[in-house]
Amino acid sequence: MERHVISNDTRIAIYRSMYRIFAVDEAIRAQVMRGAVSIIYYSPRGQEGVPAAMSAALRDDDYITTTYRGLHDTLAKGADLREVIAEVIGRSGGTCKGKGGIMHLSDPRVGVMVTSGIVGAGLPIATGLALRSQMTGSDSVTVSYFGDGASNIGAFHEALNMAAVWRLPVIFVCQNNEYGEYTPRLDSMNIEKISDRAGSYGMAGVTVDGNDPDAMYAAAHAAVTRAREGGGPTLIEAKTFRLMGHVFGIDQMQYMPKEQLAAATENDPVPAYRRALVADGVLTDESANELEKSVTEEVNEAMQWALTSPVPDLSETYTDVYAEVVPA
Amino acid sequence: MSDLVVPRIGVAVTEVTIEEWLVEDGTTVTEGDPILTVATDKTEVEIEAPASGVLRQSGLLEETYAVGAVIGSIV
Repeated sequence: MERHVISNDTRIAIYRSMYRIFAVDEAIRAQVMRGAVSIIYYSPRGQEGVPAAMSAALRDDDYITTTYRGLHDTLAKGADLREVIAEVIGRSGGTCKGKGGIMHLSDPRVGVMVTSGIVGAGLPIATGLALRSQMTGSDSVTVSYFGDGASNIGAFHEALNMAAVWRLPVIFVCQNNEYGEYTPRLDSMNIEKISDRAGSYGMAGVTVDGNDPDAMYAAAHAAVTRAREGGGPTLIEAKTFRLMGHVFGIDQMQYMPKEQLAAATENDPVPAYRRALVADGVLTDESANELEKSVTEEVNEAMQWALTSPVPDLSETYTDVYAEVVPA
Repeated sequence: MSDLVVPRIGVAVTEVTIEEWLVEDGTTVTEGDPILTVATDKTEVEIEAPASGVLRQSGLLEETYAVGAVIGSIV
């Protein structure tokens, strides 16, 4: 397929989205380390380019499913900055009234249909969402984000197989960050390219540098076009790295070889994309600084708003859940 | 004034031990400066100043404090 040409406006929009994710992550980590908020946090640092580029190829009425490391996916899809931050820090102004947190971050108003804390659980849900689009005649597509470890889970097989059989409008985006929790990827799979798995389902599969937003956008555009036009699903393996380890805080990443972490830090996609846009004349240093300043101000304002939002009231415990109160 | 509290720094971490104060009591610090090192059962972590101002220490070296406990303030 001919590679789609990416416009300057799209490249700037992708960088703005990446920098926004970067700034939100910085702001949340600062509050955690200063004891201002008490949460478990899975940082998406280093993986910003994947959903920023992917979302640039999506519409507001397209769906995503993601994982507990999915703050970047949710922000890139267009969820409200204040409400997302409030949700992550457990405040009632959040998208799930502060009761979902990073594990269950969702906002169906913008197509963020579910975040699951269960590794691999989002994939069959994505297949189901795509089946709904097909059955109702909608041309909405669904993107399912998951990690390299999830591609070893049984649900991956079931979800991809059914999606291929029924030619569903779904794109499975594996954010291969080389670690499943604390296990190096190649300790748990015997193949180099995760996209090779697509062939066994009769599905298109591609491996792309997820830290190169232009390449990622080209792959996203091709897969979204295929899905929307009835051509069926795609498996995109986006190669990236998580720069803050698994759980933020005590995870000092001693289990990673120092050279691997150093190389990944060198390849940090946020400053790298800024350099690329300046080198190509799409941004100047001045306009890039201005963009970053305005995003940082927006994020800081949203964090202050979220911090003033109250924690959920105890009386809210059983609202919006299926469980019933069990008499003591 | 801003309390200095023990942050929640992991899923299973419920308490930390103060290993070292990196700046002395009464020092003027800037928000984000590393000000002390704490130990968990897994590793050591540096804690940052939650605000700018003068550090007043109340947590004691080698003592163990629960997540959320106040171990000082920035005045």
